[in-house]
Amino acid sequence: MSQPRSSYAIGTGLFIVLGFAALAYLATQTSSVANVHQGASYIIDTHFANIGQLKERAPVKIAGVRVGQVRSITLEPGQEVADVKLAIEKSYDRIPLDSVATIYTSGLLGDQYVGIQYGSSKKVVAPGGTLALTKPAQQLEEMLGKFFGAGGVADNLGGTYAVTANFTNIGALTVGAPVKMAGVPIGSVQSVVADPVKLDAKVTLAIDKRYNQIPDDSAAAIFTSGLIGTQYVAIQPGGSPTALKNGDEMILTQSAMQLEDLIGKFLVNGSPSDKKDAGNGKPSASPAGKQ
Amino acid sequence: MNQRRPQGRNVVTQSLAQIGGCGLFLLTLLAAIPRSFRYLRETIRQLWFVGAMSLTIIMVCGLFVGMVLMLQLYHVLSIFGGTSASGMVVALSVYRELGPVVTALLFAGRAGTSITAEIGLMRATDQIDAMEMMAVDPIAYVATPRFLAGVIAMPLLCCVFCAMAIFGGHLVGVTWLGIDNGTFWSNMTAVVDVHTDIVNGVLFKSLAFGAVVTLIAVYQGFTTPPTSEGVAYATTRTVVASSIAILALDFVLTAFLM
Repeated sequence: MSQPRSSYAIGTGLFIVLGFAALAYLATQTSSVANVHQGASYIIDTHFANIGQLKERAPVKIAGVRVGQVRSITLEPGQEVADVKLAIEKSYDRIPLDSVATIYTSGLLGDQYVGIQYGSSKKVVAPGGTLALTKPAQQLEEMLGKFFGAGGVADNLGGTYAVTANFTNIGALTVGAPVKMAGVPIGSVQSVVADPVKLDAKVTLAIDKRYNQIPDDSAAAIFTSGLIGTQYVAIQPGGSPTALKNGDEMILTQSAMQLEDLIGKFLVNGSPSDKKDAGNGKPSASPAGKQ
Repeated sequence: MNQRRPQGRNVVTQSLAQIGGCGLFLLTLLAAIPRSFRYLRETIRQLWFVGAMSLTIIMVCGLFVGMVLMLQLYHVLSIFGGTSASGMVVALSVYRELGPVVTALLFAGRAGTSITAEIGLMRATDQIDAMEMMAVDPIAYVATPRFLAGVIAMPLLCCVFCAMAIFGGHLVGVTWLGIDNGTFWSNMTAVVDVHTDIVNGVLFKSLAFGAVVTLIAVYQGFTTPPTSEGVAYATTRTVVASSIAILALDFVLTAFLM
């Protein structure tokens, strides 16, 4: 009677050993144990103007090599500054004091991480010390804005005059977006508020005083720079002899094109029932199938 | 300790009575765990039966699941030139969903049915009543060892399943389709997180599934009408109820854990 029992026991033991071996295999060979394993580490304090999408436990890298992780992200009390504490492994304890901490993005759409470039100082950062030099996360919108020649317009203006325009839909237009005429920035969006009476968006444009010959029947349209770029206000000049003055309203406006609307129109061949269908949650391609 | 099938007037009350009876039975099982320690041999024998004997089917199925997953992913991802990510997608989908769910479904078919049939026949041939006559607690001797064995065996089986699936994916992806070996592993290790994917996904889910499947199997066995037809129905019900419970619980667990 004891013989079959012991064979059960051996079989069961083998099964359990195999199961745990498989678990060990999964845990060590197919996953990053380093992401969980935390050796002895020390804390470095950094301050960033903007951390973008940085998250806690994001990696900290030097020359692309992971040396630690982000321990905590808090807002500095009373300031518009993010206080990011980095936990660096003890073995990397010779980081120069004038090193620069930068928030990078892995690839175009990847997660963000903190990269540290060594400075030339002989002094090293003490545990609990602060890296004074930081570069904030590059916002994709700002980069695209610079790329499309939109950034920094408002800075070099001598003086502006304000013009309002009402749009039924401003899309993703934000304050500070450029105002362009013939593709050249001539001002910026000063404010975007919803009109409580007309139930549309009232956009105030600050236009450089140099451009004071814009006809008052010009049209304002919201365009997008490229496919995924930022939105801006384009002014298409009219033919009126009188020019726009401070406080005038631009009557002719063209709202932002919503990508969803465009795609919807494309899918249903411009059928007017697309919005209704989208609201009902039905696939918007169904009317096209019936036609 | 006489377990009888709960009665109800219509389908709704019948199902409610089944769920309630199952819940009460779980409490009885858990209360009997200390008493079942003296039947450790029986627990080991059940572990051998539901665990070690299920290894073959789990390993073969895991291998093929990993292989077919890789094959499908490769053809879809090659459209976007992203075949190097296929190893990572195989690992994530197996760890988070396919591994625990498919293992639990196979486990319900392989071990759950035989538990139900065995206990049902014990019930039909009055062996359970005989145990009570001999002052042997049938819950502690028959039900709890099988329950414990299922709860222990499922996570281990699931680990074996996942390992085989990764092996199958590697076989198809690297050996046949020519994905770079280093890319395969480095992409996988870059995204698989021990806590989220392996502890929460593989271990926790399969533990819960193991408990649910064996609870349903043991409960169906104990409440079988003592006829051969009753045993047949109870076995079918075990598979149906387990499958529904596994998939529903999977959604709930994913919603909570992710």
